Amino acid sequence: MAEAGGGEEYLFKIVVIGDSAVGKSNLLSRFARDEFDHNSKATIGVEFQTQVVELDGKEIKAQVWDTAGQERFRAVTSAYYRGAVGALIVYDISRKSTFESIKRWLDELNTHCDTTVARMLVGNKCDLENIREVSVDEGKGLAEEEGLFFIETSALDSTNVNKAFEIVIREIYDKVSRKILNSDSYKAELSVNRVSLANGVDLSKEKNGALSCCSR
Amino acid sequence: MRALSGARLLWVEYTTRSPSSPSSSSSSFLIPLRSVLLIVASSSSSSSSPVSSDRVTNKKQISSGVFIVSLYILGSLKSPWSRRRRKHALLAKQWKSLFDVDDETNSSVSESSDDPEDTKPLLGSMDTEDNHPYEPVASAPDKLETQPASNKTENFATWRRIIRLDAIRANAEWIIYSPSQAEVSEEKARKRAESVELKDYDNLEPCRIYHAARLVAILEAYAVYDPEIGYCQGMSDLLSPIISVIEEDHVAFWCFVGFMRKARHNFRLDEAEDCFFVYRMVVVLFRRELTFEQTLCLWEVMWADQAAIRAGIVKSAWRRMRLRAPPTDDLLLYAIAACVLQRRKLIIENYNSMDEIMRECNSMAGNLDVWKLLDDAHDLVVTLHDKI
Repeated sequence: MAEAGGGEEYLFKIVVIGDSAVGKSNLLSRFARDEFDHNSKATIGVEFQTQVVELDGKEIKAQVWDTAGQERFRAVTSAYYRGAVGALIVYDISRKSTFESIKRWLDELNTHCDTTVARMLVGNKCDLENIREVSVDEGKGLAEEEGLFFIETSALDSTNVNKAFEIVIREIYDKVSRKILNSDSYKAELSVNRVSLANGVDLSKEKNGALSCCSR
Repeated sequence: MRALSGARLLWVEYTTRSPSSPSSSSSSFLIPLRSVLLIVASSSSSSSSPVSSDRVTNKKQISSGVFIVSLYILGSLKSPWSRRRRKHALLAKQWKSLFDVDDETNSSVSESSDDPEDTKPLLGSMDTEDNHPYEPVASAPDKLETQPASNKTENFATWRRIIRLDAIRANAEWIIYSPSQAEVSEEKARKRAESVELKDYDNLEPCRIYHAARLVAILEAYAVYDPEIGYCQGMSDLLSPIISVIEEDHVAFWCFVGFMRKARHNFRLDEAEDCFFVYRMVVVLFRRELTFEQTLCLWEVMWADQAAIRAGIVKSAWRRMRLRAPPTDDLLLYAIAACVLQRRKLIIENYNSMDEIMRECNSMAGNLDVWKLLDDAHDLVVTLHDKI
């Protein structure tokens, strides 16, 4: 993919967060592979998918990160937030408790990322209208209060999934264009963040640090 | 398809350690993992192409492993759990208090009750051979008072909720290995689900409802038994194969306790940061990377090694048996190092970031050969055993 010197490359890291079983992994698989797994199991550790999106004729790589919803896994995932420029904070419209956790997720996001990160509140599983516990207005209300974008999605029937990611990517792109947000900082971070097992055995020392993560 | 039986899976817990050991033993697995990966990363090129060992070696070792783990069922050995101190049952009131959402400390439940009826919810509606229910070890209930700092916002109510979410989405791979449970009636399954207050299972087949209900009963009992760990996502992956081959909940519970005695340290996540690219392998012991059958092969070899060590089969005896690798307590660690090593060249030459390595490690799922993995792990045991 390396087009040496040709055109700009964009790589945006976006994290997906929210309680267990709100549908984070399926939102991601719907976006990246247009797939939905009815028997999707709890995510263990950290996973990510890369999806290329075209915006204003530019190719943008969205690297979307997915992790476990259980509180305890937070200890593993401070690396998870590193370099993120966008975040989807997800709840399940059919389970009120997942909506009530949103503030906690926002707090966590704020401690790991700076305020320029593009944030969107996502009410997932909107196909479950008959057992809805969180109204659209409640979602909107919270989003306005916290200064977030808001959308309701269904990973199951695809409603608004691409749109949710596109809005976030667009917002990041605009911020990058206006130099509010510097996506190079993530690239730089990646090239510094080489594999160091224990103290400083750097597997990639022989390569110079100028490679961006997009040049594989 | 290899025949699976409860006897093969049952892990005999020979240890004579104090029953309160869940919270008192060694540190997490991740520190030694780091050093093995370090040695793998820095070892000379000769070790990147290890001489493949004879596959028969592993087969032999597995046979002896099966033999050892089968002793309890086949032989006349007294139950290893018979030494376990039994304690009085929880009162119904005490049990119920664990479910109180607002009860942050899950108040102490160390009082006693003589009514065996009261412990039924602990292991679901279980049948014990001597009408004496198994109970949490002496120290476990007291620990309910102090939630560990590592999960201060988690309590029993949290675990209870997540256990149910995970039980419902447990995979169905086990079904073909457990025909009797596969045929469970809808009525029995629903009754079972009701007994553990399982909901939202309408789209599941009866056998999966039944499986989920058993997972809930045992995982919840475990969370009471070992409140320091409680429930952590991934534990249902470890329990599911056990209940597939063991039909009685109380037996399955104690097998799980034996399994967790070592595996529980992997759920202490505070040391995991440096190794997060192999984190899933550590936590669910390759369950996500391998098929059901392959996973059992790997686990059995691990358990056989651990049992051999507990039984005092020392290195020299192992040599006399002409097996190359001595038994190790940390075969999981060597297996993880081995599968990273299998991709060493690729990783060094092509990957520049943690992200790419993580993706490579995640992509091993479904692409590992368990026999090659064991061969390579045993080679590493031989190569590195003395260095560590």
